[in-house]
Amino acid sequence: MKIASKHPLLVGMACLALSTGVIYGCSDFLSSSAPPQGALDSGNLANRSGVEATLIGAYRPLDCTTSSGSWGCAASNWAFGTVGSGDAYKGSTGADQPPINDLEGYHWASGNAEDYLNQKWSHVYEGVVRSNATLRLLKSVLTSNPGEFSTADANGVAGEAIFLRAHYHFEAYRFWGNIPYYLEDETDFRKPNATTTEVITALLADLDSAAKLLPAAPRNGQKGRATSWTAKAYKGRVQVYAGQFAAAITTLSDVRLNGPYELEASFDRVWTGFASFSNGKETILAYQASANDGDPGGNNANQGERLNMPNGGHFGCCGFNQPTQNLVNFYRVDAAGLPLSLSAPTTWNSNNNNFTAADNLPVDPRLDWTVGREGVPLKDWGLYTVSAYARDVANGGPYSPKRNLHEKASGSELVTGGWAPTQQNDVNIHLFRFADALLLEAEAQVEAGSLAIATQLVNMVRTRAGVTAQGCGLPSDPAAAAAEVAAYPICTDDTRLAVPINDPSTVWATYSVSPYPATFASVAIGRQAVRTERRLELAMEGQRLFDLRRWGIAATELNGYLTGVGGGREDTRRLYLANAEAFGTKHQLYPIPNIQIELSKVGTENRLVQNPGW
Amino acid sequence: MGANRRNTMEKKLSAGFSPRTGIVRQLCAVGLSLLLAMVLSGTAYGQNQAVTGTVTSTGGAPLQGVTIRVQGTDIRAVTDGAGRYRLTAPSDAVLTFSYVGTRPVQMTVAGRSSIDVTMAQIPYLEEVVVTAYTEQRRADITGAVSSLNVESAQRQTGASVLQRLDASVPGVTVASGGSPGSRSTVRIRGISSFQNNDPLYIIDGTPVQESYLNFLNPNDITSVQVLKDASSASIYGARASNGVILIETTKRGVAGPPQVTLRARTGVASPVRGYDDILITNSMDYFEVMRASYENAGDAIPTNIYGDPNNPSLPVYIWPNACPATAACSGVVTGVDAFGRATSVNAAAYSTPGSLIMAGSEGTNWWDAVFSSAPVSDYNLDVAGGSDENAYRVSFNFFDQGGTARYNHFKRGSVRVNTTFNRGKLSFGENISLALERHHGGMPDDPGGFAEDGILGKNILQQPVIPVFDIQGNFAGGKAKTLGNQGNPLKWAWAGKDNETRNNQVFGNVFAGLDMNPAITFRTRLGFNVAQRTTLAFTPASPEIAEATFGNSAGENRNDFNDWTWTNTLRYVKALSKHNFDFLIGQEANKGRNRYIEASIGGLINTSVDTRYIQDVLGTSKDVFTTGGQNSLLSVFGKADYNFADKYVASFTVRRDGSSRLAPGNQWGTFPAVGLGWRISNEPFLANNRILSDVMLRYGWGVTGNQLIPSGRIIAQFGGGKGDTFYDVAGGNSIVTGFRQTSLGNANLKWEENKSTNIGADMLLFEGKLNFIVDVYRRSTSNLLFDPRLPATAGVASPPIINVGQMRNTGIDFSVGHAAPSWSLSLNGSHYKNEIISINGVQDFFYGPISTRFGNQVINQVGHPIGSFYGLVTDGFFQSQAEADAHTADAVTGLCATPPCQDGAAPGRFKFKDTNNDGIVNAADRTIIGDPHPDFTAGLDMGLRRGNFDLNATFFGSFGNDIFENQKEFYVFRQFETNVLKDLFDNSWTPSNPNAKYPRIDRNDSFSSQLSNFYIEDGSYVRLRNVQLGYSVPSGFSRWMPSGSRIYLQGENLLTFTGYEGLDPSLPAANISGAAGDIRDQYRGVDRGAYPSNRVFSIGFVTSF
Repeated sequence: MKIASKHPLLVGMACLALSTGVIYGCSDFLSSSAPPQGALDSGNLANRSGVEATLIGAYRPLDCTTSSGSWGCAASNWAFGTVGSGDAYKGSTGADQPPINDLEGYHWASGNAEDYLNQKWSHVYEGVVRSNATLRLLKSVLTSNPGEFSTADANGVAGEAIFLRAHYHFEAYRFWGNIPYYLEDETDFRKPNATTTEVITALLADLDSAAKLLPAAPRNGQKGRATSWTAKAYKGRVQVYAGQFAAAITTLSDVRLNGPYELEASFDRVWTGFASFSNGKETILAYQASANDGDPGGNNANQGERLNMPNGGHFGCCGFNQPTQNLVNFYRVDAAGLPLSLSAPTTWNSNNNNFTAADNLPVDPRLDWTVGREGVPLKDWGLYTVSAYARDVANGGPYSPKRNLHEKASGSELVTGGWAPTQQNDVNIHLFRFADALLLEAEAQVEAGSLAIATQLVNMVRTRAGVTAQGCGLPSDPAAAAAEVAAYPICTDDTRLAVPINDPSTVWATYSVSPYPATFASVAIGRQAVRTERRLELAMEGQRLFDLRRWGIAATELNGYLTGVGGGREDTRRLYLANAEAFGTKHQLYPIPNIQIELSKVGTENRLVQNPGW
Repeated sequence: MGANRRNTMEKKLSAGFSPRTGIVRQLCAVGLSLLLAMVLSGTAYGQNQAVTGTVTSTGGAPLQGVTIRVQGTDIRAVTDGAGRYRLTAPSDAVLTFSYVGTRPVQMTVAGRSSIDVTMAQIPYLEEVVVTAYTEQRRADITGAVSSLNVESAQRQTGASVLQRLDASVPGVTVASGGSPGSRSTVRIRGISSFQNNDPLYIIDGTPVQESYLNFLNPNDITSVQVLKDASSASIYGARASNGVILIETTKRGVAGPPQVTLRARTGVASPVRGYDDILITNSMDYFEVMRASYENAGDAIPTNIYGDPNNPSLPVYIWPNACPATAACSGVVTGVDAFGRATSVNAAAYSTPGSLIMAGSEGTNWWDAVFSSAPVSDYNLDVAGGSDENAYRVSFNFFDQGGTARYNHFKRGSVRVNTTFNRGKLSFGENISLALERHHGGMPDDPGGFAEDGILGKNILQQPVIPVFDIQGNFAGGKAKTLGNQGNPLKWAWAGKDNETRNNQVFGNVFAGLDMNPAITFRTRLGFNVAQRTTLAFTPASPEIAEATFGNSAGENRNDFNDWTWTNTLRYVKALSKHNFDFLIGQEANKGRNRYIEASIGGLINTSVDTRYIQDVLGTSKDVFTTGGQNSLLSVFGKADYNFADKYVASFTVRRDGSSRLAPGNQWGTFPAVGLGWRISNEPFLANNRILSDVMLRYGWGVTGNQLIPSGRIIAQFGGGKGDTFYDVAGGNSIVTGFRQTSLGNANLKWEENKSTNIGADMLLFEGKLNFIVDVYRRSTSNLLFDPRLPATAGVASPPIINVGQMRNTGIDFSVGHAAPSWSLSLNGSHYKNEIISINGVQDFFYGPISTRFGNQVINQVGHPIGSFYGLVTDGFFQSQAEADAHTADAVTGLCATPPCQDGAAPGRFKFKDTNNDGIVNAADRTIIGDPHPDFTAGLDMGLRRGNFDLNATFFGSFGNDIFENQKEFYVFRQFETNVLKDLFDNSWTPSNPNAKYPRIDRNDSFSSQLSNFYIEDGSYVRLRNVQLGYSVPSGFSRWMPSGSRIYLQGENLLTFTGYEGLDPSLPAANISGAAGDIRDQYRGVDRGAYPSNRVFSIGFVTSF
């Protein structure tokens, strides 16, 4: 204390210095708090398992992920390719998900439409980013530790990543045409758009190199992986989109003749929750949905599709993506079992009323695998009734989507939680299936004038369509079963989901579908038949809008759909469609989301240029 | 005995405290010891003669509440309402008179039996206030420092004292909701940054940066100082960019025996306004709107609820369309009418959740079903006392605020112990509070991302025809078609009744000081903040709604954190004739860690509270997630103040801070400040000026920083999740691990810097009768820490945080006051202008963080304030089909007869302006349509005293701020078939009502509802925040009410003057965070259904003995 009173300042400084010293003594005081908690850094992944897991991450954006927004990113493109293509109405209630109203009404420049378009744009480029990240990481691991991979695996990883990169870019190409194409070493994320020709060149280059690198059978026997055949088939698809028909024929016929793909034996096995049928011979590329897979949120169980179930009853929620009257009418057949739209082009679409079992008109059996309609068993859930399942008939019509609906007996439904588990399942979403490839080849063959083979290809698809029809599928729920038996006593104890199309139990419809009896008489007739078949076979699969745009007939078809075709018009069936904008030249491509154009700004220049007309 | 006791305690304090082990246990021991000490102390004294007298102010008005102590004894008295006192004292005793805000007076008794005293007020500039690390005389402060009128702020029943800051301190805005325990968003002088604009709170020297200070009992607070500019705040450098609020809870005992003060208040709260004031409550009235909506759209009018549209009637029963006569409902529905409506039912055969049968309601008042009045109470007991060698104060608080929403309340219990001990040159002690908070109920504090799904979003907008309960007493809902998509709001409230948020927090510090001589003082202080927050939540199955759900889930999370700050300062004060020096140097270290765990379970087999645990056997799926964070700051600082002859004041501070959140090489920042003051009234030329009695001019400039971003953002991070990167690559329903990059790092992260200039004046006018303080300022933030969005081609990984943005605030604050003994008045006002100067150098805007049903209504654009409203501009209605046709684009040419072309043009729909003049109305025509920032805010505080009565009132006003009334999506446009505004039907467009308030009612009109200035409302309001009438009990009034006791009646939010048509213009801030931190300032003033403020009537009682 004496020192303190004699030299107080000295003592004070000493106190301060001492206390300061204690803290500064631990030299890592600041740096020890710096690393992120609960995250990995790039070093943790620089090994074989890191590369493989990064590749898995690149597959996942085939459907929406928890980091990618709501429904604009759905694997099936339902809000773009199905709704607004004449296949489906938005459905649900008028005000729910207003962006889809604008997509359906071709008001694509609206802020709401931009919201969905931006989700899609962001989502496909996230796929590109993840694919490219895999390639970069693979390269760096191969450089730093060459022994980490066998050549086969290294090639396999690279091939899968390059294939995925091509797929994601192709999605962007179908939407926007003039898109920037990103390879793995690029770091300028504000690149200008490439032209469609340049994009096609890049896509084909990627698919070629993927096909060279990839094995013919999926790596590790894992069916979700791309193979050299996946890449080849996809190349054919791109060639058809590019109008390179001769090249497409070479590619697709090679795939057909030498590849592993075949049509499923019957149509009910194409879209299914039964594990025994999924990933069959028809699958070229599918989003491998999984439910009850350990993710309590059920986020891998078709996140992007979960609005697309019947509204009421067991399914509870949403009731979007309701098939149109036009689509239902399109499934009608004439006495010969051929599409009525071809034989009666002015009247096939004249039915404005709810098309029910009681009408019992001849139809393509694919109708009842595609559309839930009054009085017809809804797979094995019991009879479909408008009152139970259609949410707002004035708005969305009386029908419900059916292809992506799981069979109750399949056990495919999510049970572990999530937001609307009854609307989620592990039904794989086909991104590209063999029937699609066959019809693409048929299209190319028609354009090349090879009508005989084109007829043969279309007939392969039609023949398969005629194998089975919706059966009684008597539900396990006693009340639902009683209701069905009361309506159709013949269904007593008949739990068969799929039956031969002439089975006597199918009293709710007259099913008929026949192959074309003779070779298409002309290119024009062949073209019409192939296009008709694509709609019938691929309805509600998100393809139609892109098909129509590819064929250059989108404006005619879609304006006709609204204001009159085949004796019916949609703007009087669904009154809100009277507000639709006319489908014009600019609609040939979607507008690039304005926000992305703004974000591409460098200095004062927007590197991304908007598509024509927008 | 007492001395021994104290020795024991000293040992404990000096030797026993270790920051590493058992903090809580040791603190408890200290607290208990103190209580014991208090009980055991006390000495007896003799008595001699009686003394009486009157205490008056210099103006002659009697002063109530003046404490008179007999020096060297325990004897004391307090003056009554007439200023009179009475005590007995030795005839040679010395009496000390003390009263807040006045100079203390000493008188010797000298045998007199009557002593009258006059007490003079301390002039404003002579007040001593606590500022950074020291106490300072006002006249030595060169920065902008405002004091909260604590007394006025305590006249409220909220959990936090912060909620009343805006009415009392100019330059401060506060947003908080009516939810009990609601968070307070305090902003000082505008908005500095795109994120994390919370000021730094220094509570008894311990820093904390968050907006829930509910653990702090308002009654413990002695002073609140707001350091508004950089020259006053920059000594807190690193974290002072948003201003600093110093809160002192150091109410200490005065020497003498224990003095006990009891404060009790109880009252009842009700919402200031309810939706039933503005929405339809009659079912048949609602049908008229519904009919118009279908009719005008050309759609058939549904008959399932109201029957014949031309002769509508209330349904006897409503049953879901999904209930065919052949299936589940058979046997239940025994009669139907021509429209399929059930007319009779067999209730005995009915069971849920298969179907839902409910009686049609004449008009359910959903607001009343959920909201009602609620009790509020607040009890405080303080014990204080001490001697020359020690002082103590222990306080207990129990606060219980019921929510006006059912099943919702907030409770807090807290104990605080403040002690100091003096041993010669050494002093030491501690201030510690232990608080337990419990918040119950399913009502979120603030609207957030869940607003629409919350009770107050659209669920409370349920249609009136739906009853609350079904025929069996279960919760009813809109399961039948046309009844909308809303949940039953009462059910949600009920289901959330056991949802609980708990906060257990120990907050405080231990300190020691060594006064080596009168000039040199060394102080050391270790502050700590240790807390555990737990949240329990339950989501029920909802089979009764349109989008029925059948699963339930429960979740809980826990966040443990501990933070410590060790501060050491050395102060040297020296006076050399007219030169006065005050130097301070110091060092500070701060470390914080937290660990968070979250878990949930779905498909609970049993939903009772007792089984809401996360165990495999109790449900079908579970999920768990943990994370954490850690950060540290290291600082040195110094301060030099110089005062020459009380005329010229100069102050310099500098601080150097190192932050672990920033990149090596950029971790250290230097924050200097300078302040100059000129007490111009002490110059000869103003001596004896009649108007300017005392004037101080101030200038300050300084730099402050901000580093409040998540830790670990220097490097790239990788991760993923089961639903994000995992994939079933084998096609066998089992997922395989996948990774993605989750965030991009920035290896050059550095400080955000705020440079601020302040010019101010403190003036006492007319011989001190009027007190006028004014400050003008300019604050410029640069190197703003922000994560501007990257193009999507870069992926979804969180963009790096960069230091590019700039923002500026300019403004003025002032206050004018007059305090006379019998009345007082103070008015304060402030204005600020916020402007974004730069975002990332290239981009000139980015959208707000939340999209509602019709898109994003907020834009942050260079040249405009943060969070501006964005949308189309209405231009009247299309009045005729011809006019609509003229604006409709031709299918082929894309052109229209009369530009601009507009999609969906139809009579009665909004016409929008073609703001970019390109001939088409589309998204590109959106423009800035409103500003959520007020032009001016003001607080007015009034006091009046007559005899034993006193009356106080506080008004608060906000002017010129816009509100984006997003609820119009529902209650005007009937999105999801919600209930609608009462005046919608009469004021909608029809050919005979062409200048209507609302567009034509039309269910297919998806165009008029586009985000536009139709949603913008003026949010200005003036509110009588508080009025209090008190009565001071005179001596001899009652034996159990000692003289000096006071009882009062209080009313809060009794009057509101506003043009805002929504629920309540006083909106809480949205609860939103982004990857770079809290971003609520990017989304202000959007009404998505907020918990309305409370009107509270209460009665209170304060007494000491």
